[in-house]
Amino acid sequence: MKTIEVKNLKKYFPLRKLGKRYYIRAVDDVSFSIEEGEIVGILGESGCGKSTLGFLISRLERETEGDVFFRNQKISGTLRLPKDTRRRIQLILQNPYDSFDPRFTVGESLLIPLRIHKIGSHDLERKRKIYEYMEMAGLSPATNYYERYPHELSGGQVQRLSILRAMLLKPDFLVADECVSMLDVSVRADVINFLLNFASLSKTSMMFITHDISLGSFVSNRIIVMYLGKVVEIAKAKEIVKNPLHPYTRILLSYSPVLFEKRKKIPIKGYVQPLLEKPKGCRFFQRCPFSQKECSEIDPKLVEIEKGHLVACHVVS
Amino acid sequence: MKILKVDKLSIRYKLKEGEVQAVENVSFEVNERDVVGIVGESGSGKSTLAYGIMKLLPSNAYFKNGRIYLFGKDILKIPLEEIRKNRWKKYSMVFQKSMNALSPVHRIGDQIKEALTIHQPYLSQDEMKKRMERAMRMVNLPLRVLKAYPHELSGGMMQRTMIALSLINDPKFVIFDEATTALDVVTQGQILDEVKKLVENLGLTAIFITHDIGVIAEICNKVAVMYAGKLMEFGSLKEVIYHPLHPYTKALLKSHPDFLKPGEEIKGIRGALPDPLKSFRGCVFAPRCEFASEMCFEREPEEISVEGRKVSCFNLSEVSK
Ligand SMILES: Nc1ncnc2c1ncn2[C@@H]1O[C@H](COP(=O)(O)OP(=O)(O)OP(=O)(O)O)[C@@H](O)[C@H]1O
Ligand SMILES: Nc1ncnc2c1ncn2[C@@H]1O[C@H](COP(=O)(O)OP(=O)(O)OP(=O)(O)O)[C@@H](O)[C@H]1O
Ligand SMILES: [Mg+2]
Ligand SMILES: [Mg+2]
Repeated sequence: MKTIEVKNLKKYFPLRKLGKRYYIRAVDDVSFSIEEGEIVGILGESGCGKSTLGFLISRLERETEGDVFFRNQKISGTLRLPKDTRRRIQLILQNPYDSFDPRFTVGESLLIPLRIHKIGSHDLERKRKIYEYMEMAGLSPATNYYERYPHELSGGQVQRLSILRAMLLKPDFLVADECVSMLDVSVRADVINFLLNFASLSKTSMMFITHDISLGSFVSNRIIVMYLGKVVEIAKAKEIVKNPLHPYTRILLSYSPVLFEKRKKIPIKGYVQPLLEKPKGCRFFQRCPFSQKECSEIDPKLVEIEKGHLVACHVVS
Repeated sequence: MKILKVDKLSIRYKLKEGEVQAVENVSFEVNERDVVGIVGESGSGKSTLAYGIMKLLPSNAYFKNGRIYLFGKDILKIPLEEIRKNRWKKYSMVFQKSMNALSPVHRIGDQIKEALTIHQPYLSQDEMKKRMERAMRMVNLPLRVLKAYPHELSGGMMQRTMIALSLINDPKFVIFDEATTALDVVTQGQILDEVKKLVENLGLTAIFITHDIGVIAEICNKVAVMYAGKLMEFGSLKEVIYHPLHPYTKALLKSHPDFLKPGEEIKGIRGALPDPLKSFRGCVFAPRCEFASEMCFEREPEEISVEGRKVSCFNLSEVSK
């Protein structure tokens, strides 16, 4: 069964400029699905709409158009979800400080949702579970951290707690938005392994938003590459790394830092143009080193080039 | 010229359960045009050190011992007035919590302008506008961001806004605390290039706190490695990253997921940071160190310092085999 299905999803933010109405097309006609237990990585430039997509699917933001289905049930159209569905869909926020109310200790912030959703039969059991998770994430001894306020912790400590908070609720679907961005490699390895074990044991599907290609390809089964609100490439994670097809994906890969070897960077022109009017051709056209004439005229569709490998590019197809 | 000298600095936090030894006897120096990277496990005291240097520690923190000389002045002694005058002008910082650093009810442009007005009130309106636009271009943000409210920006746009804000008064020294965590490689590369230009052309000096060793390799000329509040190793980029001496540095580098070997599992360092509320005997890293000998659990290794390179470890000959 598909855990998540997204159909022609759009989110436009209105913007007023010189009396005229423009729109920021943060998510523009995106469709894909996530199978049970599958982990899908979302890659793309800062500002391309990754977090907005995460908000739309976890129903914290209303769509402009399109549909979202959770286990074949339509959840779009409203931000109200049945209490249990709310629990089953969890979002790890990009900014971990937003996950915690500064007036509560982090322990309280972890415990209260468990009470609300009646996970565990009593507080002692719940606390034991929380401690266990904290130790797994390297917050040891857990008692040291449990009664602190969010501002009394380091950035990476708060980030780890925000991951645990979502995991403790045993979601069926988890959106992880740059969830290890503040962790150094060694702690990150432990946390990622913990998260992956958890996901595979409980068959949790995940949307793993990251700008780190090596991390994304390590964690995910499939990867979706976005550019300015559009999906430009979808493929198996291994395939994306081995055989990237879209020029933008190839550029991203060429910039991915490697420590002991200088890789040749494919030069990229300019920077992201704010898209206020609906573009005629391909959105990447002006920055693309390979662009052809038709690129400026026709918006390329996402087509399957090889089995399971979809690309939206005139040059490739 | 010496921009910063940190001398045997210790910073602690008071909690009801006890004291957190966040920074312990840390010493290092930063010269003009240096870009020093600070790496270290989450919770090892990097941000605390930065807050200490900026004199922005929260109220439950205190300087236990040591000195900080910034532009030759002992900042623990000079009056707060003087610090207020220079902070955000002569030296500034990008916070790790940058996403919560701005006021949610004012437009980005107004907040940046405010920073300019406070420190350079003599600038004309036109000049201010020019500088703001220049700063936005430098961090690759469209000018519409100046009109936006913080919640209308993506995570990476917010971080870039904070970088622009930290540079708006042309400071001589900036601390970037995990300032590019939300940026993709292309955007990050472009910003690092801009910072490099400032270092070369305007003599900027900087500290980059980051867990991203790729960033360190790209922009830093020196690297400090912290673990549980202590400085484990300090030296040039080449020395520390490509020829590390301390077992912790080695272990940290080993857990870097090298993109070129797909399929290989990323490994952490077994164990976790020691309880920061307890004082410990011996080397703080000993319980997790594969080279630890009996002595390591009994005495604390002294800092060995040769020509600006520092390392604290008893078993260097063993380790470097
Ligand atoms: N206000 C505070 N009160 C008490 N303890 C604190 C406070 N702020 C930080 N700490 C503790 O001090 C230690 C060092 O924290 P610091 O924020 O300096 O770490 P860091 O190296 O920046 O970590 P990260 O990489 O996760 O940001 C941590 O154990 C943290 O829990
Ligand atoms: N509430 C809002 N009002 C107006 N514009 C918004 C709002 N939220 C997001 N946007 C705009 O939508 C676009 C996409 O933002 P989003 O946060 O989804 O990007 P992102 O891919 O997550 O980027 P990052 O990697 O930097 O976090 C940006 O141009 C942003 O300014
Ligand atoms: Mg985002
Ligand atoms: Mg920090």
